[in-house]
Amino acid sequence: MPTVSIRLDRVSKRFDHTVKGEVYAVRDVSLAVEQGELLTLLGPSGCGKSTTLRMIAGFEEPDAGTISIDGRDVTHVLPNKRGIGFMFQNYALFPHLSVFENVAYGLRVQGRDAAGITRAVNEVLELVGLASYGRQQPHQLSGGEQQRVALARAVVFQPKVLLFDEPLSNLDAKLRVEMREQIRALQKRIGITTVYVTHDQEEAMAISDRIAVMERGVVVQDGTAFDLYYRPRTEFVARFIGRTNLLAARVVSAAEVEVEGQHIALATGHPVGSTVQLVVRPEMIELSPAPPGDAVIAQRTFLGEKTDYLVTLGGVALQVSATDHYRRPPMEPGQPVAVRFHPEGIHVL
Amino acid sequence: MTVAAAHAGSWRRIAADPTLLVTLTAIWLLLGLFVLYPLVELLARAFVDDGRFSLAPLLESLADPSHRAAFLNSLLLGTSVGLLGTALGFLFALTAVRGGLGRHWLTLLDAFALLPLVSPPFTTSISIIFSFGPKGFITHDLLGLTNVSPYGYWSTTLAETLTYFPIAYLTLRPILAAIDPNLEEMAFSLGGSRWRIFRTVTLPLAVPGFANAFLLLFAASLADFATPLILAGNSFPVLPTQAFLQITGMFDFKGGAVLSLILLVPAAAVFLLQRYWVGRRTYVTVTGKVGQRSRTRAMAPWAGALLVAGCFLVAALIAYFYALLVWASLVVAFGANNSFTWAHYHVIFTEGLPAIRDTLIIAAIGMPLGGFYGVLVGYLIARRRFPGRRAMELVAMINYALPGTIVGIAYLIAFNDPPLALTGGALIIVACYVFRYSPTGIRATVALLQQIDRSLDEASSSLGAGSGETFRRVTLPLIAPAFFAGLGVVFIRSMTAISATIFLVSISWTLITVRILENMTELSLGPAAAFSVFVIVVVFVVIGGLSAVLVRLRAPAAGAAARSLLGG
Repeated sequence: MPTVSIRLDRVSKRFDHTVKGEVYAVRDVSLAVEQGELLTLLGPSGCGKSTTLRMIAGFEEPDAGTISIDGRDVTHVLPNKRGIGFMFQNYALFPHLSVFENVAYGLRVQGRDAAGITRAVNEVLELVGLASYGRQQPHQLSGGEQQRVALARAVVFQPKVLLFDEPLSNLDAKLRVEMREQIRALQKRIGITTVYVTHDQEEAMAISDRIAVMERGVVVQDGTAFDLYYRPRTEFVARFIGRTNLLAARVVSAAEVEVEGQHIALATGHPVGSTVQLVVRPEMIELSPAPPGDAVIAQRTFLGEKTDYLVTLGGVALQVSATDHYRRPPMEPGQPVAVRFHPEGIHVL
Repeated sequence: MTVAAAHAGSWRRIAADPTLLVTLTAIWLLLGLFVLYPLVELLARAFVDDGRFSLAPLLESLADPSHRAAFLNSLLLGTSVGLLGTALGFLFALTAVRGGLGRHWLTLLDAFALLPLVSPPFTTSISIIFSFGPKGFITHDLLGLTNVSPYGYWSTTLAETLTYFPIAYLTLRPILAAIDPNLEEMAFSLGGSRWRIFRTVTLPLAVPGFANAFLLLFAASLADFATPLILAGNSFPVLPTQAFLQITGMFDFKGGAVLSLILLVPAAAVFLLQRYWVGRRTYVTVTGKVGQRSRTRAMAPWAGALLVAGCFLVAALIAYFYALLVWASLVVAFGANNSFTWAHYHVIFTEGLPAIRDTLIIAAIGMPLGGFYGVLVGYLIARRRFPGRRAMELVAMINYALPGTIVGIAYLIAFNDPPLALTGGALIIVACYVFRYSPTGIRATVALLQQIDRSLDEASSSLGAGSGETFRRVTLPLIAPAFFAGLGVVFIRSMTAISATIFLVSISWTLITVRILENMTELSLGPAAAFSVFVIVVVFVVIGGLSAVLVRLRAPAAGAAARSLLGG
């Protein structure tokens, strides 16, 4: 059975807001991160994810609740006594120190001998692909290189846990994908427990073992990327992760629902005659031009690997993705089409 | 295009723009007359003997042991004030940035820190005499000491430190505030103790600020004339006072000129150091984006409390000195007869009225002239391309950068005889203030214009407006905050300055600051205190009014302009 490395138990943090008075940044958050696991806190800005991370690091003290790392209660322990590696969004490289000295900082604090420090720093710089950069000053490096120095600095003293606060948001799109793969590879290689904060759902899905979605200071759902995408627990999660059609459906029978005249074979477990909310992802809807049905193409966007359609069906607008568009001519706006729902992936809220 | 061709091109453009041509000519004439000409006259007086260049007067002056002592004393005083003032400024800056004080407490701290900057130069000195003199409140009344002397190195250092430490505060505070809190948190997470973080992260990042603050304070102390004149006494002569005595006591213009030029050596060294060494050593945040600002735990609560306590102790000392000043202005004879009286105020508004009237007239004339000159030159430097632009920038700053004693003596020598016998009149005093204190307005204008896109000017000229029209319709409204800041500085300095203008006053035109000095030497301390209180009140009213104007303008850089108002 995997052991728990970081545990948050009903942690809350309030801030004084100039207009609203006292507001909860984080409210009753409980989380358990297993040894070697990468958990991502995902949510829009202001949802409390960074505050949660900063409380794990010790930069903020919770107003209520407890935090433990490796079984030790650290709720009121200062950050320098926690053994954490932290990576800031702006990297926070010491501008007055060379790359080598930036990475060595944590080791010098521990009072390691000079030879050991040199060896460890050179090793980790090699690991992040910056072997010959030790003498450079931070401002001479590119954004990606600064990022890797920050990563090296955070892992070199073998902290118990690694914490990332939106580390990739200052990089351009391509470098972002490259760096997140590097971070994930490094994290798996050294098997370190990691908490990662981001507002980018794609990044979260790509990098995480598990994702906790936060909204207004509360964890609304935590699970694998697959769980969050196909079995979102709330409307917020459904909308935040991927693109979604949220459709009101009438339960026709134990095994059938109806949306705008379309019947879908779906067992909901809800009483006949009641209304349910369906989470229908764009790729679960199929369009066919012949024979024409009662839906109309409103808009078409060709994106290469797929084509997105906006389709009007009765009173609702449906987002539809087609990946088989290379097989047949594209459907034109204004063209009437038939809509078919694939019941396998549809989730009932 | 070759350099020569480029020059020819810009000459042609000037010739095609008559407004610009006339303006440039007028400014160069004024700069030549009121900046370069006096300086040349001063150098000629010091170094030309019988039509030949000679270093003999300089060597003679240096050989005089009392002059050498004055030189060394000036350096010692500047270094002491630089070190102590920087330390005090750092205490205030660190408290303001990291002390966790509420907004109202911060405002109070600011008020105490800025009070000495806008007061007449003698206020602290007078209070020190009231406090530590033979009849001093502390030395005599509280400690019962007799035969104490408040004059010399220690009291001068104390007075100058309290007067000038706000410069260090204003220099260090933005530098500390700009240190990314993430850096300290990062070091914290890497296991560093709070003391280690302070030592290895915070202090190294503040080093350029320390150097800058020290040099500014050193220069301010070096140039300070009023404090040593009152407090240094005979045992501790310094260069500005020696030069003054040489001229007013012995009517030795040549000796005064030479002494003032000796003062120029350390002043120039400081200026060059600041410009070419400190200027290149500021650390910018690497990513340019400062991390989120939250109450950092990187400062231990007891350390924060200690800082706050230290600041309020200093603030209390300043408050005590000002209270003493007000008290002295309201009692019959300080230390001897403590019964209440308005007599001193009566004196300054009857006998002292000419000085008040003259000062206000001169300030009122100098203020608009200085404000307009500041924005005009600032605009030309920041926005127009013309041959000699860098030279104009440099020359316009000279009188500002030079110690007031040098400027005063140079004006006295240059304008004492025909064809330009201006001494004795108000014009010479106004000119001295305008060319000495408008550079603050020039700098504020340049800083403001650097934030305003040049395309606005270009849009105006594409719509057919000439350079004068563009300046009036587009630029002037945008640089209004700098204009008002320039007005403010010229006015405040006209009310409080003495170092240069003491050489220029006459029977027909005198100044409040000069009257305060006379009162001090005649030991009529009551009127001196009343005059000081009057000046402080006027200055505060004007600053309040200008702040209100700046707030109403709501310009993006109004805050910066308001700061330069105080920092000037």
